[in-house]
Amino acid sequence: MSNVLYWQALNEAMDAELAADETVFTVGEDVGLYGGTYRVTEGLLAKYGEWRVRDTPISENSFTGLGVGAALLGLRPVVEIMTINFALLAMDAIVNMAAKIPFMSGGQFPMPLTIRMPGGVARQLGAQHSQRLEAMLMGIPGLRMVVPATPQDAYWQLRQAIRSDDPIIVLEHELLYFRTGELDETAVAPPLHQARVSRPGRDLTCITYSRMVSLALETAEALAAEGIEMEVVDLRSLAPIDWKTCEQSVSRTHRCLIVEEDNECGGVGAEITATLQARSFFQLDAPIRRVAGLDLPTPFNGALEAQSIPQKKDVVQAAKELVTNATGGVS
Amino acid sequence: MKKPILMPALSDTMQTGRLTRWNKSVGDPVRTGESVAEVETDKAILDVEAFADGYLAGPLAPTDQDIPIRQTIAYIADRPEAASDATAQAQKAAPAADRAESARPQAASRPAGDARRRGPVTPIPPPEPAAEGRGHAAPMPHSPPSAAPGVGVSPYARALARDLGVDIAEAQAGPDGQVHARHVLAVALQPQGADLRLGPPYEITRPGTLRAAVARNMSATLQTPTFRISSRLPLGPLHQKTKTKKVSLTLALSRACALTVAEDPWFNHAWTPKGLAIRKRVDLGIAVDTGAGLITPVLRDAANRPLEELAEDWRILLEKVKSGRLAPEHYQGASFYLSNLGIFPEVVEFDAIVPAGASAILGVSAPGTDGNTTLTLSCDHRVIFGADAARFLQRLRKRLEDLSWLA
Repeated sequence: MSNVLYWQALNEAMDAELAADETVFTVGEDVGLYGGTYRVTEGLLAKYGEWRVRDTPISENSFTGLGVGAALLGLRPVVEIMTINFALLAMDAIVNMAAKIPFMSGGQFPMPLTIRMPGGVARQLGAQHSQRLEAMLMGIPGLRMVVPATPQDAYWQLRQAIRSDDPIIVLEHELLYFRTGELDETAVAPPLHQARVSRPGRDLTCITYSRMVSLALETAEALAAEGIEMEVVDLRSLAPIDWKTCEQSVSRTHRCLIVEEDNECGGVGAEITATLQARSFFQLDAPIRRVAGLDLPTPFNGALEAQSIPQKKDVVQAAKELVTNATGGVS
Repeated sequence: MKKPILMPALSDTMQTGRLTRWNKSVGDPVRTGESVAEVETDKAILDVEAFADGYLAGPLAPTDQDIPIRQTIAYIADRPEAASDATAQAQKAAPAADRAESARPQAASRPAGDARRRGPVTPIPPPEPAAEGRGHAAPMPHSPPSAAPGVGVSPYARALARDLGVDIAEAQAGPDGQVHARHVLAVALQPQGADLRLGPPYEITRPGTLRAAVARNMSATLQTPTFRISSRLPLGPLHQKTKTKKVSLTLALSRACALTVAEDPWFNHAWTPKGLAIRKRVDLGIAVDTGAGLITPVLRDAANRPLEELAEDWRILLEKVKSGRLAPEHYQGASFYLSNLGIFPEVVEFDAIVPAGASAILGVSAPGTDGNTTLTLSCDHRVIFGADAARFLQRLRKRLEDLSWLA
């Protein structure tokens, strides 16, 4: 058991898989000499050489397509896309190829491809570098996507993703790389797509993922001081979603709040709301409520940028209103 | 910037409070500690104090409606403009549906209620984008709950009602006008009343909080195994002496009881689920008729403190009863009770109910033609036995004959 940074956990996972299986390799911009924009591949070039830790030109669709081809031939590529914003250039490789080929070939071609990339609002990187596109990717059949919120999950889920025979996106977060957390390499990992109750609570369920998990946990502490016990469910995976854990939590609390950094319209929260109201209709004592990013390109101005994504006070207010039924649920 | 004022929780058992009136209007300046409203709890009317300096801002919660604790009842704004801004949205506050049950045919009674519930539908202006505290709310106007026809029921509440066999119409909606699970549970947990539907037409009105509290407390004593023992004792000499000494007969009787209790501590004990509560001090509760219901102000340490001090306490307590400002610390926790109906000459004999937390209560009737008065001691048999009670009356008789203690 040790206390590590999120990027260090990913680095350890990469190292472990590269060491364990010689069909594993990684490609991407600056993954080699530079050691990765967020240090995830630090030290790996020296250890495994340039055939397995490969720098590429700025050409997302090409090197992601390279990953697809390598996977078709039985290798286990880990493609790093510097940020999710650049994945837009690789959509043909991701959506038209990786997600479709196993189905279109009737399973004859496996697709053990892992695509790693960070998303999210960091600090004043501008609208084009602050996107959260998980809702878009979540809606593509044939793709899996995990969203680790802690170093431990980052370690487990990256290793599990690399060993999976399906195409899978490991969505990281730019503000999580330098967060610390405990890592136990010997602990047994839960199933890759299983959600977790990060904090039990009696009065309402907060369903969230990625960086918003720590925000939800902080909020839960503040609410507990006022006598409101909020249960926090960390989804850990957006495709598929572990509905069982969500349902079980809502059947205990009868109230559900979804917190997402991505913008509200057509978002992850919309999908959860629609599905949960059907699965848990008779358990709901109030309308499901969302706290989400605003529906606008992220402002560059720091103060405005902070206002455009959920803050602790927003979650506190929504939770209180949900518990006291102070509003009819229109957010 | 405005901060919410919440319905305070004024006791461990308080679930809801009822505002009796607002002492300030929207826009009025308020100072920390100043009373902005009065709230009626189980038995008392207490002040809701401002927690900060500022200006009272709406929407103000309605008076004479049950409001759950910790719910927002108003706001304190730091600027007068902010206080008046908020009033523009006052219509947002949904008046809780005033639901009175009626046994008359629905056609006769419902329209009036419905008309009131719907009220005039005021269009809500869309919130200004720059307004504070709006978080990430989409710029969509709230639809006023008052415009909704009828009362909404949450899916969980409906499912619970079905499973528990509760008639949803009996559930009282919350402040948002919706029936939630807790309202269905409240109906399920309340004791079943008599079926009045075949009798004369009736209307159900909600009892005042004092009457409701008395009803609750009296029902709670049903489990007490009680016996009664009576004696006819001369109260004449005591009455005479109180006249010359200018003390009230009730006070003198209370003192006599307190001294008698002090001689046998068993009368000062109480049976609790955890064991016997042994108390060193005699706190004497005296039943007082307020017109609106029964209340029992308590004279603390009634056996040891000087009579003049008790008389002053008694005067203050009666004033508080009159003004409706008796707080729980004034009327709870007596170890022995006295109920005097002696001013009604028709009452020759009665027995009183032992309140929870005490082991005995003495009922005093009107004097008979022979100059004797029937005193009935009701006792909790878990604590007091028959012979103890007989000896208590014996000692009380001596005290009523030899009045040296009142000198």
